[in-house]
Amino acid sequence: MTPFTYRRPAHLNEAVSLLAAGTATTKLLAGGQSLLLALKERALRPTCVLSLASLSELAGVRTASDGCLDIGATTTYATLARSSFSGWHAEIAAVAGNLADRSVRSLGTIGGGICQADPRFDMPTLLTAAGARMDLVAASGRRCLAADEFFNANGGTHMTASEILTRISIPAVQALDALAFEKFRFRAFEAAVVSVACALKLGGDGRIASARLVVGAVAKAPLKAIATAAALVGRRPADLRIEEVGAQVAAEVAPLRAEQPLRQRYQSELTISLTAKALARAAAQARGN
Amino acid sequence: MARITIHVNGRAVSGDVDERMLLLEFIRDVAGLTGTHAGCYEARCGCCVVEMDGASVKSCNVLALQADGLSVFTVESMSQQRLAPVEHITTQSLAGVYQPLEAMSSNSRDLHPLQAAFHRCHALQCGFCTPGMLMVLKNFLEENPRPSREQVRMAISGNLCRCTGYQHIVDAAMQAAAVMHPDPA
Repeated sequence: MTPFTYRRPAHLNEAVSLLAAGTATTKLLAGGQSLLLALKERALRPTCVLSLASLSELAGVRTASDGCLDIGATTTYATLARSSFSGWHAEIAAVAGNLADRSVRSLGTIGGGICQADPRFDMPTLLTAAGARMDLVAASGRRCLAADEFFNANGGTHMTASEILTRISIPAVQALDALAFEKFRFRAFEAAVVSVACALKLGGDGRIASARLVVGAVAKAPLKAIATAAALVGRRPADLRIEEVGAQVAAEVAPLRAEQPLRQRYQSELTISLTAKALARAAAQARGN
Repeated sequence: MARITIHVNGRAVSGDVDERMLLLEFIRDVAGLTGTHAGCYEARCGCCVVEMDGASVKSCNVLALQADGLSVFTVESMSQQRLAPVEHITTQSLAGVYQPLEAMSSNSRDLHPLQAAFHRCHALQCGFCTPGMLMVLKNFLEENPRPSREQVRMAISGNLCRCTGYQHIVDAAMQAAAVMHPDPA
């Protein structure tokens, strides 16, 4: 690590002005599970580390008046995993409880994870499928970004260096009928080789009214299979040929080409089976509602 | 430099520390408790796991400043006899501090049920990973009184052991769970 000063402001306003005073040289610390690794390798050399641990505005999970699930950015994965959410929100708790390892989950935060925006992380993929919105605050004001606008297709996020992610808003339970996430990793504590999230909303006639299929770890940001998802509209979940949909998703976001390195060809094949698994689970969940 | 106080095993330990000091370094160098092992320093091996505010954390991936004012429990807190420091290690001095393992029972005075089970099941060979294994399993078993073997394996997925092949560690955890939470019937 290179030397830095450590600040732990008690109020969000104070944090925002401290950050504005030194945007280029300040790093935000939530749980520190990604930041400390980068500091120790000197991949990052901030002169100021700003801890968000005392900011109550960034803590806790609550249900907003419109039914949205409002998750504070510094909520740890362990807290999320212990939460009992209703309906498809439960998938968020399930994913939070099955990433990294037990000791990392106690400190790692959902906000830290998505600001790190490593495409192999689970939350960017899941939150994109869930249609989450991110609340950002800076000295110049507040703004709210949908997950699609938040993650940068070239890697990282579209946050500016003077912004702090405060809360993540997940649409109300009524907004979707099912959300399912599947991933493959070589060892239990490793990041995903490929992850797939599938969200379904049915119409009154029991047919799919809208669908989102999102694949993580194959590109620098979560990729949506827009054409394949659009083709699902109007179909009955029970009638879907899930293996075919899986192949279409892979062709759309991670096409198999002979000249590709082995890892990418493997990812393409994994996309097929993981999409099939996620879709089968989402379809069963949607029919059960 | 910053002045911080961390409650380590119930004892308030204060020190002037560099901002870059890790919780692991604070525990070993400032509090003087070397039971917590420094393995990889990159949050992979889990040898440095301690309990911070009731949650198991990898102390090599936490700044000491992040733990300022919090309470931390290390492997030394698992049984009382380990709190007695051994100044000069010889066979005689150790014999005065430690009873023979065979004479110890599973209680807070002698050995934690998990430590006793590790001993019974031969769940360690070189012992380097053991402090981390014990701390993460203690935390896990307190939260999950009746785990399956699969759940135990997932709980220690962030802890590497290069000797045992994990089989005996899982055996020990299953035995310890039965001792810590005996069947109501």
